[in-house]
Amino acid sequence: MGHSPTDKKRDDCPRDIQKIVVLGGGTAGWMAAAALSYILDAKRVSITLIESEEIGTVGVGEATIPPILLFNQMLGIDENEFLRETKGTIKLGIEFRDWLRKGHSYIHPFGDFGRDIETIPMHHYWLRQAALGEPVGELFDYSLMVQASRKGRFLRPSAADPNSVFAGIHYAYQFDAGHYTRFLRQYAERLGAVRVEGKVAKVSQHTETGYVEALTLEDGRVIDGEFFIDCSGFRGLLIEQTLKAGYVDWSKDLPCDRAVAVPCTKNGEPIPYTRATADDAGWRWRIPLQHRTGNGHVYCSSFMDDQSALDHLLAGLDGDVMAEPNPLRFQTGHRAKFWDKNVIALGLAQGFLEPLESTSIHLIQQGIARLFAHFPDKTFSPVARDAYNARTLWEYERIRDFLVLHYTQTERTDTEFWRYCQTIEVSDELKQKLEMFRQTGRIHRQNQELFTESSWLAVMHGQGVHATGWSPLVERFSLEDMKVRLERMRDVIDRASDAMPTHAEFLASVNAAR
Amino acid sequence: MPDPIKKVVIVGGGTAGWMAAAALSKFLPRHRTSITLIESEAIGTVGVGEATIPQIATFNQMLGIDEREFLSRVKGTYKLGIEFRDWGHLGERYFHPFGVYGWDIQGTDFHHFWKRADSLEVHPDLAAYSLNTAAAYAGKFAKHDGNPRSPLSRLAHAYHFDASAYAAYLRELAEKAGVRRVEATVREVKQDGETGFIRSLMIDGGDTVDGDLFIDCTGFYGLLIEQALKSGYADWSDLLPMNRAVAIPCERVEEPKPYTIATAREAGWTWRIPLQHRTGNGHVYASSYTDDDEATETLLQTLDGEPLAEPRFLRFTTGIRKKFWSKNVVAIGLSAGFLEPLESTSIHMIQSGIAKLLALFPDARFSSAEREEYNRILTTSFTHIRDFIVLHYIATKRDDTEFWRDRASLDIPDTLRRKMELMQSSGRFFRYDDELFSVTSWLAVMQGQGRGPQDYNPTADRLSEDNLLRSLTDMRMVIDRTVAGMPQHSEAF
Repeated sequence: MGHSPTDKKRDDCPRDIQKIVVLGGGTAGWMAAAALSYILDAKRVSITLIESEEIGTVGVGEATIPPILLFNQMLGIDENEFLRETKGTIKLGIEFRDWLRKGHSYIHPFGDFGRDIETIPMHHYWLRQAALGEPVGELFDYSLMVQASRKGRFLRPSAADPNSVFAGIHYAYQFDAGHYTRFLRQYAERLGAVRVEGKVAKVSQHTETGYVEALTLEDGRVIDGEFFIDCSGFRGLLIEQTLKAGYVDWSKDLPCDRAVAVPCTKNGEPIPYTRATADDAGWRWRIPLQHRTGNGHVYCSSFMDDQSALDHLLAGLDGDVMAEPNPLRFQTGHRAKFWDKNVIALGLAQGFLEPLESTSIHLIQQGIARLFAHFPDKTFSPVARDAYNARTLWEYERIRDFLVLHYTQTERTDTEFWRYCQTIEVSDELKQKLEMFRQTGRIHRQNQELFTESSWLAVMHGQGVHATGWSPLVERFSLEDMKVRLERMRDVIDRASDAMPTHAEFLASVNAAR
Repeated sequence: MPDPIKKVVIVGGGTAGWMAAAALSKFLPRHRTSITLIESEAIGTVGVGEATIPQIATFNQMLGIDEREFLSRVKGTYKLGIEFRDWGHLGERYFHPFGVYGWDIQGTDFHHFWKRADSLEVHPDLAAYSLNTAAAYAGKFAKHDGNPRSPLSRLAHAYHFDASAYAAYLRELAEKAGVRRVEATVREVKQDGETGFIRSLMIDGGDTVDGDLFIDCTGFYGLLIEQALKSGYADWSDLLPMNRAVAIPCERVEEPKPYTIATAREAGWTWRIPLQHRTGNGHVYASSYTDDDEATETLLQTLDGEPLAEPRFLRFTTGIRKKFWSKNVVAIGLSAGFLEPLESTSIHMIQSGIAKLLALFPDARFSSAEREEYNRILTTSFTHIRDFIVLHYIATKRDDTEFWRDRASLDIPDTLRRKMELMQSSGRFFRYDDELFSVTSWLAVMQGQGRGPQDYNPTADRLSEDNLLRSLTDMRMVIDRTVAGMPQHSEAF
């Protein structure tokens, strides 16, 4: 094992993986190919991506969350160029309409609520003032991103001064996933990734180990590889059809199983946030891009038929339909093994969680980042694989809990679907989080789970989970003192959001910066 | 509507008791919550460890303590890490530094580049890329100037200090902030007949002290958490059989070194902690493999100055309280659990208990959610540290005594085995549940004890060979130059 002193160079090491094959060229496939070709040395490792133009791709979500910035930065992608190429807009959060009850709305923003005061999160002070009847405003008024969303404003955060209120700006993008995929394809091909057009006819496995060895295309070409990344979508040609990794069904927790998507013409300047409107048996999304608006309806087929779902979607559009509706079926859940033998699944081949909190692209990105951290050699150590699988499962479970929160904490009982949601059994972790917040106003983020304390706060508060307690440590400050401090905080946030350029001005500057 | 805690009672005035009193009096609303600390001069305190880890600075800052004043009060010195002698192999030594090795290149941890260079027959010494190690062995120290781009910002430090002087200092702060100190022994603990909650303590002379929340800092005995509430103890001595220690201070014979030394012995290990005025020494051992006389003899032989006091003996069982927080009692310090001070974690676990208590501070309704979360977090923290300590005993080639031979057959937890395998195969490390020790620590100990990574992450191949070697050379130059410009450690306090 290891490199003995006689190894002159790593090139000579027979353990290193030299051939990586990515199967499938949707968002997942090209994100993986781009990142691999950036991180690995093309002279030593070949990266081949097989895709067929005959097989359509599912544009997984067009709305994202802030870690996407890191992915693009890692690849050295210029943000202006990226926004131009993908017709992208800025996203500061998600507006949830009709979730708590019809007519109600709140924004789940990126970034924090106000600032800690003496190490205690600001919302504890807010909870106390509100409970004692002090005028303290809405909690959401303390979020810079909520204020900027409402005002349609955006400014790139200033890294220079970490104490500036503008350092608290957090954002992601809304973009055309098809354009993003093409953009990444160019990037990957420029760095030496090879694209092969074709459909897989046969998968060859090692007779003893079952490891995948080669893919035979319909035209007879054979693509062999040492490590395979399965981005072939729901069917999981390698991870499931070949290796039978298994699928863990979560439709009891999240019963929606269909979606229909349709773009429409844009209506006014794009707003810097996504909208998710609860419907009779699911919810509808609205994602504003530079050139059009993306719309979709996620629903549960046991409670609504396809035609009604389409009707509901079309009735809610605020522009003219631009394409045929694109229907989609799915089963919420995940692959029992995300990584099995020498195959790792990414994207829809890995699992599916509805895009209510825009996590689809993030899960791809995390899968890639985690792959780098556990990068195998030809011995495919089960230790790294097990660690990868355990960590990915944990991440899926915590996102699932966060989604379940939206469906179960609501006053809605107006349809059979919403009444059914009241019967969903929540995980112990979620139970504990809810209990803790109700009793003490506290939120504990566990083990680097994706959603932050602020996200949990936004959605729990927005969904009407009522905290009856707060940190007793806030009692150190008098109500009068805190009234002044909170007022000042709100005022700073209000003025800071007023001082930002409009989202439209920002996009114009992006498009002018060629 | 919340129902605030009005009376906090801390029982026991050792390091844990006064750390808790100082922190609570800083953060609790004084007009509403009274804090009483009961201690008896008749009951001795166990000065838990005099060496610390860098997090202690956060605790002091939180209390608004000035570092210079602190150091002069506690006769403190700076600590840059721990030198481990004879652990992986008799005659070998290595340094476990605070801080980091080198710096990341394009998001890949430094040590993967170091390992790649190692495979190119360059064999760079990992320790040479730690600013802390280089400064420690040069006997130097400097506070960084606040410029985040200065290499000095990478120098991480903790302290060695006299724990009883620290407790006395914190007592002053706490009393100034309104903590009432009662000098007495607790005679009787009164519990609520229904709930079992502790209502009051009867002390000498028949007086009672009542409270809403009790903090048990009574040491191993656990007057409230164990004697009254029977929380139970999870015994970990199968993994860590050391159960005794003997401590002797000795005269200082040289300028204090800015690091602790931990030397493996026949059935345990000895510590050497340099203070401004004297040197602290001790021997932690397993009584099933050696006896008190032999252990004391070993310790005396290794002192490098004249003994300043009679040997003090200490008995313990490694393990943790099954519930750190039960009903209205929170155990902090030795009443919460004991892990040998091999990695100087005792004071840190006190600090950690206090910080978590503040973050989850209850009101008089005592929500079970807070208690459960507190117990979950503390159990996890203790378990991760335990695993890290066990690592020192099993990543070794020593087989010269029965004690060491028995270590080889230890049945270790799966979590630890997985961590070791990942690190050893290719330098991978993943930190779980905000565990205390980072990749630097695991790498330092495993590499130092002959179980270093055999391979590196292929992402380190991105750099050309020239660039790789140049980066490594540059880093060493920066470290060497920085250390050369630093003043002697003894000039720093």
